[in-house]
Amino acid sequence: MHRATLDQIRILVSSNPNDDYLARIKAEIRAEADAARERAPLPRLDPPPRAAVTVDDGIDRERLDYSLGELCGHDYIAFIDHAFRALLKRAPDDTGSALQIRLLAAGAPKAEVLGNLRWSPEGRRVGARVRGLLPRYALAKLARVPVAGYLLQWGLALAGLPLLLRHQRASDTLHAARFNAVADERREHARRLDELQARQDAFNAVHGEMRNELTRLAQRLDTLEQRAKALEHHAGALQQRSDATTHELADLRHYVHTANHWVASLQRSLDELETAEAAESARADELLAALAEPDTDARAARHAAWSAALAAALPPAARVLDLGSGDGRWLAALRAHGLDAHGVEVNRVLVERARAQARPVALGEPLAALERCAEASLDALTLAATLADDALGTANLLHAARRALKPDGVLLLRAEATPCAAAGTEPPHWRALLAAAGFAAPSETAAPHAGAVLARRGAD
Amino acid sequence: MKAAILLPSLAGRDAVGNDALAMARLLRARGIETRLYCEHASGVDERTWPAAELPDFAGGPRDLVIYHFSVGWPIALDVLRRVRGYRVVRYHNITPPEFFAGTSRVYEAACARGRAEIPDVARLGCELYLGASAYNTAELVAAGVPAERGAVLAPFHRVEHLLDAEADLRLLDELGDGARNLLMVGRIAPNKGHVELVDAFAAYVDGYGDPARLLIVGKTDPGLASYTEAIRARIAQHRLGERVWWLDSVDEAQLKAAFLASHAFVTLSRHEGFCVPLVEAMALGTPIVAHGSSAIPETVGDGGLVWDTTDPWLYAASLARLHADAPLRNDLRDAARRRYERTFAPAVMRERFFDLLEPAL
Repeated sequence: MHRATLDQIRILVSSNPNDDYLARIKAEIRAEADAARERAPLPRLDPPPRAAVTVDDGIDRERLDYSLGELCGHDYIAFIDHAFRALLKRAPDDTGSALQIRLLAAGAPKAEVLGNLRWSPEGRRVGARVRGLLPRYALAKLARVPVAGYLLQWGLALAGLPLLLRHQRASDTLHAARFNAVADERREHARRLDELQARQDAFNAVHGEMRNELTRLAQRLDTLEQRAKALEHHAGALQQRSDATTHELADLRHYVHTANHWVASLQRSLDELETAEAAESARADELLAALAEPDTDARAARHAAWSAALAAALPPAARVLDLGSGDGRWLAALRAHGLDAHGVEVNRVLVERARAQARPVALGEPLAALERCAEASLDALTLAATLADDALGTANLLHAARRALKPDGVLLLRAEATPCAAAGTEPPHWRALLAAAGFAAPSETAAPHAGAVLARRGAD
Repeated sequence: MKAAILLPSLAGRDAVGNDALAMARLLRARGIETRLYCEHASGVDERTWPAAELPDFAGGPRDLVIYHFSVGWPIALDVLRRVRGYRVVRYHNITPPEFFAGTSRVYEAACARGRAEIPDVARLGCELYLGASAYNTAELVAAGVPAERGAVLAPFHRVEHLLDAEADLRLLDELGDGARNLLMVGRIAPNKGHVELVDAFAAYVDGYGDPARLLIVGKTDPGLASYTEAIRARIAQHRLGERVWWLDSVDEAQLKAAFLASHAFVTLSRHEGFCVPLVEAMALGTPIVAHGSSAIPETVGDGGLVWDTTDPWLYAASLARLHADAPLRNDLRDAARRRYERTFAPAVMRERFFDLLEPAL
């Protein structure tokens, strides 16, 4: 485990991402260092001069003269500190201080400590002068000489006994004074302690209020957090709904695209059917056009007779509509009598053939054309009998004809000689139908041009 | 369970003392009765006990003993042999004696004794060997410690106190006069590379002509007076007299002011087991230019410019580039701050400390 830690630390130090950046900077610095080495030195600019004493360490380095009493006026650590500052001009180092304190603790006189410092190599370099120190230091050192030193101390002690007693009494007084001072200080400390206690109580009160406020804030924070969670929950639900709607829209879009595809496919099928139907219709038109009655004298004679009969029943320039005009030969016969005749034909080939000969034949469904005519707008209506191929169709046709004809208008049904003429187009059958549709007095054209029936619109 | 912190001397303002006191505080905060054992203590409001009494307090099989190994001290080996619990050797490194050759026989001999003790400490078979850097742990492993018992934990420091402290306004004003302030923090000892630093400073002054000053913060040691004199001689040789400020015995406020007012923290130290001032510079946003010796590269990481030589012109050009290139300055500050937060912040270190001690707790 520990080896891994070591390796991790080494890796951490060596695989720093800033390595490239620092490497580039360092290469530039190396180049600059090489260039600077070769350059001539620049003129030196001095910083502002230093103030007299920068760090106030309480050492008066200028003073080198002291009295013994001045240095011995302190005790224990204060004495050592003062001695170092005065004699060595520095604060005491830990080792030196401990050594001198041990000396004092072992009963050495202060003069010996002072002398040790003063005449140490460092103290000699400083060279401070302490008046009266040398003889006392010498005596202290002599006192350490075995036997002689002991006797010397005895002698000195006896000689100085009165002085010692006086010092003892003075010490008693001093200690009593100090005891009083300490007692005063204790009282003062007690008073300050009471003050501090009072301040602490006030602080505790404020602290209690702050804690209460903090509790309230914490509760509000909890409430806000709960609301935030509820909002997050709602947002989640909305997001789910939004996702579901998005899915539904995607499905719907798919269905619409599918329906579009089906509609397009159906449209194509219908187009194909219409195309086929149109082709079929064109082929039918061509077939029917080929089967149409040729332009023979008999036909011309028949038309002349029929048109004469009709013209006789109508006023001059009467307005006539022909349904199932074919190639327009019949219209030409009508117009030869001065009638304003127009036709409608469903066969495109026959219509084109009629238009080629300037015959007014329009392309269209006969019944639809008739229904588009205004009520009581025609003087006469002529019908090709092939249009009435069944009873219901004929009834509808005749009903529409009655509506479009003027009150005394004339209806002519003509049975052309076509191979596909219906069996139900014989004149007797028509007469019955016309009577049923409200036409009066049907009459058939006379032979040899029989085949057309005229009937006048009966009164409403 | 009881815990004992063992070290030769306890001082309140050195790296080893800070580390030991911080460990004691953390263990007590976890409810473990903890005592500090040393020969003598100064500058701390902490009760200490004589080292010889340690086995009586924390010699049991469930107890924890952490020995801060930074000098030769045979008593510690004897104590560690007498306890039966979980033993941790906290290795702060010992300066190789050759750095003191010709300067101080006392220090040379002390360092030699200390380094001679490394194999003995390795042979103790302690449960955990905790280097202040991978460089330190690698030394122990080379001396015979099984690699799986080695780990790394940066020393606990007082950088957060420094961040909270008020800077000395008078010193700040004095240094904020427009001159470029270059800072070196560390005791005045031969392995710290002060002479090379003065050479680099001279190259900067001559090569770039900026009004600049060098702040040398650190305790002078009477026992290393000849080294101090060598520095002064080199300063005089380069005619840098008034440009070099010696700040001996600064307090926290003055130290903070020095960091804040400095344009770069420069060190050409030739041997460091970790180098706490680098961490202080990272936390306080002072760009770092350093000689990548011993543990310095791993302490700095990507939070500064680190060179593998002591070529003074290289350092001069680095300082000029830092002065001219604001983006680089900001990038280095950001990277240093990140490194501090991720690696050296108290909470990170506290968690790692207890992770490493998990088998004993």
